[in-house]
Amino acid sequence: MLSLVTSHRGPTDTESAESTAAALESLLEQVAAGDQQAFGELYDRTASRVLGLVKRVLVDHAQSEEVTQEIFLEIWRTAPKFEAMRGSAMSWILTMTHRRAVDRVRSSQSGHDRDERIGIRDIEPAYDHVAESVEIRIEHERVKRAMAQLTDFQREAISLAYYGGYSHTEIAGILAIPVGTVKTRLRDGMIRLRDALGVAS
Amino acid sequence: MTDRTHGDDVDPRLLSGAYALDATSAEEAERFERAASASDSLRDEAEELRETASRLGLAAQPVTPSERMRAELMAKLATTPQLARTSTADAPTDAPTPAPDARTAPAVQPTVAPAVIAPDAAPADVDAPLVAVGPAERRAAQRWYTRPAAILAAAAAAAALFVGGGLVGSALNGSGSSVATDASASGLAAIAAAGDTQRSTVPLAGGGTATVVWSAELGRSAVLADGLPTLPDGKVYEAWYIDSSGATPAGTFTAAGSGTSWHVLNGTMAAGDAVGVTVEPAGGSPAPTTDPILVVQAA
Repeated sequence: MLSLVTSHRGPTDTESAESTAAALESLLEQVAAGDQQAFGELYDRTASRVLGLVKRVLVDHAQSEEVTQEIFLEIWRTAPKFEAMRGSAMSWILTMTHRRAVDRVRSSQSGHDRDERIGIRDIEPAYDHVAESVEIRIEHERVKRAMAQLTDFQREAISLAYYGGYSHTEIAGILAIPVGTVKTRLRDGMIRLRDALGVAS
Repeated sequence: MTDRTHGDDVDPRLLSGAYALDATSAEEAERFERAASASDSLRDEAEELRETASRLGLAAQPVTPSERMRAELMAKLATTPQLARTSTADAPTDAPTPAPDARTAPAVQPTVAPAVIAPDAAPADVDAPLVAVGPAERRAAQRWYTRPAAILAAAAAAAALFVGGGLVGSALNGSGSSVATDASASGLAAIAAAGDTQRSTVPLAGGGTATVVWSAELGRSAVLADGLPTLPDGKVYEAWYIDSSGATPAGTFTAAGSGTSWHVLNGTMAAGDAVGVTVEPAGGSPAPTTDPILVVQAA
């Protein structure tokens, strides 16, 4: 029997920061100071996310690993430029990740593979039923739910841009619509997504 | 088709979505960044949409890199110089153009001077744990044993978790299901996206598993369970934050018919709190009335 009395607690006490594992932000701070061990920990905690996103865009595994390595060297190199005021460490890392993946897809042969494999697709990836951690599935669910609040046109444009790595001009070509329309769909869609996901600055 | 007319955009704001998704040309991106640096509202929008885009990134299926890659990467650090730290806009700047070196040492004492990496550093030695919870976890565990005898059973269950997972709780079955709300999912996503997310997974007596995820930074936690049995009518699951003074109700929930059930706990998680779940009469109880089906020491 858990016969306990209800208690009321005050606001978060100051101990919590001290007793927690290092946040990514403080790891980045250490990395910025040249701490290689902190970098190793940062890598261990984010590499599968980074590679996952790169591979989503590039598909080819060997090439994705190569790009992932470049990304982590860039993280090492540019960590001193990270500004915690400007957003989370994870967002900073994934922003860099996506940009690098897109640069690669646009500058290489993989663009052709991409054209063959994509067509127009949904954000639904083929999920391995086993290996998936609960949190990832939830995150995926959450994004899927938010994506469901977009119009079909917005969703299509955002998926092509983010997961396909296509530029607005390419998307305009694929969908046979004006670039201005693509830009509008991307912006309106992202704003709606932002609101659905509760992202605020 | 009237594409390739993107040169005629008067308002750079129209590009914010494409920019956040890396769907602009390099020139447009530059133009947008210039515009954003001159406008607070445009910069805010750009940052929010970037953050939003990174949620799309988090939803991609993670892929574990090869061991070789880590080793290669660590070996390259020694020969990869880092950029000099710039003074942040928010830092109190007495001099408008601070000397780069004068600003490189904030609160944290660098173990290695920036940009001067010891060439003989042995990267292979670096083997940081995935989550550095050792001492804090031990402290938390010790705290358990100083608590009132009434929660010793729960403490034992929690202790079992530290040594690799133990069986807690009693079998439950019945019917009735519900779907987690969007608000709950939103909270869960926030926890999953936090920089300090930790988790602990325990098997449930019914055959499934339950995972408690938490972020001390956010002071929030959630319980996720695969194969959580649905309860008979009139019964609900109730979550608790448990500390030395007792258990604080943290909301009730029901099992999803299939797949994953989850519940983001109400209230704030404090350092040293444990998260527990009991079965209670519909509407919940002010204090637990049954043995917990799971207890996880968090924070």
